[in-house]
Amino acid sequence: MTHLALKNVSKHFGDFTAVKDFNLDVRKGEFVSFLGPSGCGKTTTLRMIAGFEIPTEGVISIEGIDITNKAPSQRNVGMVFQSYALFPNMTVAQNIGFGLRIRKEKESDITDRVKEMLAIINLEKKADSYPYQLSGGQMQRVALARALAIRPEVLLLDEPLSALDAKIRVSLRAEIRSIQQKLGITAIYVTHDQEEALSLSDRIVVMNMGEMEQVGTPFEIYNFPTTVFSANFVGTLNNANGEVVDPANGTLTVDGVKFESATDLKSRKKGDKVKVAIRPERFSFASEIRKANVVDAKIENITFLGSVVRIQIKIGNTRFNMDTFNNPFLELPKIGSTEQVTCSKEAVLVLDE
Amino acid sequence: MNLLARIRRIPFWSWIWFILGALYFLLPLLATFNFSLRMERDVIGFKAYIRAFEDPEFLKTFLYSNVLALMTIIASIILIVPTAYWIRLRLPEARRIVEFITLLPFVVPAIILVFGLIRIYSSPVKIPFSDITLLKPLTTFEVGTDILIVAGYMVLGLPYMYRSVDTGMRTVDVRTLTEAAQSLGANWFTIITRVILPNIRAALLSGALLTFAIVVGEVTLASFLGVPAFGPYLFLLGQHRAYEPAALSFASFLMTWVAMGLIQLFTGGQGQAAGAH
Repeated sequence: MTHLALKNVSKHFGDFTAVKDFNLDVRKGEFVSFLGPSGCGKTTTLRMIAGFEIPTEGVISIEGIDITNKAPSQRNVGMVFQSYALFPNMTVAQNIGFGLRIRKEKESDITDRVKEMLAIINLEKKADSYPYQLSGGQMQRVALARALAIRPEVLLLDEPLSALDAKIRVSLRAEIRSIQQKLGITAIYVTHDQEEALSLSDRIVVMNMGEMEQVGTPFEIYNFPTTVFSANFVGTLNNANGEVVDPANGTLTVDGVKFESATDLKSRKKGDKVKVAIRPERFSFASEIRKANVVDAKIENITFLGSVVRIQIKIGNTRFNMDTFNNPFLELPKIGSTEQVTCSKEAVLVLDE
Repeated sequence: MNLLARIRRIPFWSWIWFILGALYFLLPLLATFNFSLRMERDVIGFKAYIRAFEDPEFLKTFLYSNVLALMTIIASIILIVPTAYWIRLRLPEARRIVEFITLLPFVVPAIILVFGLIRIYSSPVKIPFSDITLLKPLTTFEVGTDILIVAGYMVLGLPYMYRSVDTGMRTVDVRTLTEAAQSLGANWFTIITRVILPNIRAALLSGALLTFAIVVGEVTLASFLGVPAFGPYLFLLGQHRAYEPAALSFASFLMTWVAMGLIQLFTGGQGQAAGAH
C-alpha cells in the first residue's frame, strides 16, 4: 500500500531544472534515502514533500490525499534539519512539546508525550536544558524527538548527520534507524554519504542532475548498478571500455582481453561499444579460487589501507584496482610481476551511459 | 595578577586614546553634575534636584514623553519586526532599498518632517473626488496630534530600530527556524511571536532604548506640534533657570544608564543562546 506518492514531479527555478519528472511510491514504514552529489535535486525534492517548495509540475500525495499545494503547517510532516533548528529560547522539553502546543493538545497529554519522546532519545535528564547547553549529537536527537512528537505521517531528514563528527554520526544513524523501525514511521532521508544511505535504507533513490538514476535496495544499488553514474557514485568502481563479442553468451572484450558477463546483452549486437564496470573487491588471485573469468594482470602498485590492501593491476592496457582483505599471513605479489586474477560473470557489469 | 598582566599588554597609545575619549565624555557630565549641586551660594547640595522634581510640569511632561516613547516603541516593533523578518525570509533583494529608506531620517531634518506632517494632516481627509470628510484634521484634536507625533518619532527612530532588529535576526537562522516551526504546524503569527521575537529580544531592547532616548529628549517635533512633552519643557526651563536644567540633564543621563544596565541584566544569556545555535 502506497503511503507517500510523488507523480511526475518537476521543479524549475527560472530556466534551471532542479528536479525532473520524479516518480516514487513509498510504502508505510519504509525508509527511503535520496542519495546524490550536491545540486542533484535531492533536497529540493524533500522540500517539496515538506511544502517549502511547490512543484512546477506533478502531484504529491499522502494516503491518496493530494498535498501538492498545501501549506507546510497543514501537512503533518515532521522535519529534521542539518543545522538542528532548535528554538534557542526554549528548553528541550518546550522544544519537543512545541508542535503539540500548536495543536492545542491537553497539557497533561503534552507532558506525557514529551516524557515518552525524551525516553526514546535517552535524554530524560536534559529536559530543562537549553539548546546551547547540549552537544551537537544531543541537539539532533532533540530535533528528531520534536519532529516525531507530533506523530507525523512522514518524517523528513535533511542531511541530519552532516554537522556531526564521524563517531557520533555512526552511533546516531543506528539510533535513527532503530527509532524509525520501532515507531514504524515512513521516513525520507537526504544524504550525499553513500555509507549512510546503504546502512540505513530500505530503498535508495540515486539522483543526478535533477533526475532519478536508479531506485533499489542498498544490495541492488551496490551490486547491480544500472547506470555508470550510479555505479561510480556508490562504492569504488573500475571503469573500462568494452566491445560486445557474443551477445547470446554475454561475451565481451576489454582491450582484446575476453570477459564473460552475467548482464543480459541480447539487446546489443556484436561489435557494440559498451561501458564495463567491475568492483575492486570482486577480483581475486586465481591461485586461491578460479572463477568464470581468469585473466593475466601485471601488478603495478600496492597500497595498504588498513583492513584492505589495494592492488593496482593492468589488464591489457587498462588499469584496474583490486581489493583484498588484509590478514597477517597475506602473501602479496611482487610489483612488476604478472599474476592471474579472476572474477565471476556477475562481477562484470555492463552499464548504460 | 592575571588582570594586571592583561592590562600591561595593552599598548601605550591605546591607553592614551581611551583616556582622552573618557575625558571627552565624562568631563562635561562631571561639570554639569558639579554645577547642578551649587544652587545655593557656598553650599554643595541637591536643592536644584528637589526644585526640579517638585515642579508639577516636570512630572506631567516627563510622564507624557514616556507614554509617547512607549507607544513609539510598540508601533515600531509592530511595523519593523515583520518587515525585517519578511525581507530576510523572502525579499533579500529589497534589503538595500529598505536600508536606504531607514537612513533618510539622518538626511532629512526633523523640521522638514514636522512641516510635512502639519501641511498634510492639517486638512481634513476626504474621499477622493468628493466633499465627504472621512476624518477631521489630525492636528486639531489631541489624539490626532498624538498619532502624528508617534508617527514622526517612528521615523526618527527608524534607523536605530531597524538596524537593531536586522542585526538581531542575523544572529539567528531565521529561515530554518521558520521552516522548523512551520513543519510543526505553526502559523505566521505564532512564528513571529513565539519563535522570532523571543530570539531577538536583546536587539529589540537595544532598539527600544535608543528610541526611548530619542523620544524623551526630542524638541523639534514636540514644539511645532504643540504637545506638552519633556524636551520642550527642558528647553524652556533652560531659558529661564540655570541649575534645574543641569540637574534634570544629569538625572536623565542616570536614567539612561539604568536602562542600559537593565538591558544587560535581562539579556545576559541571549548571546550565549544565539551563539550556540
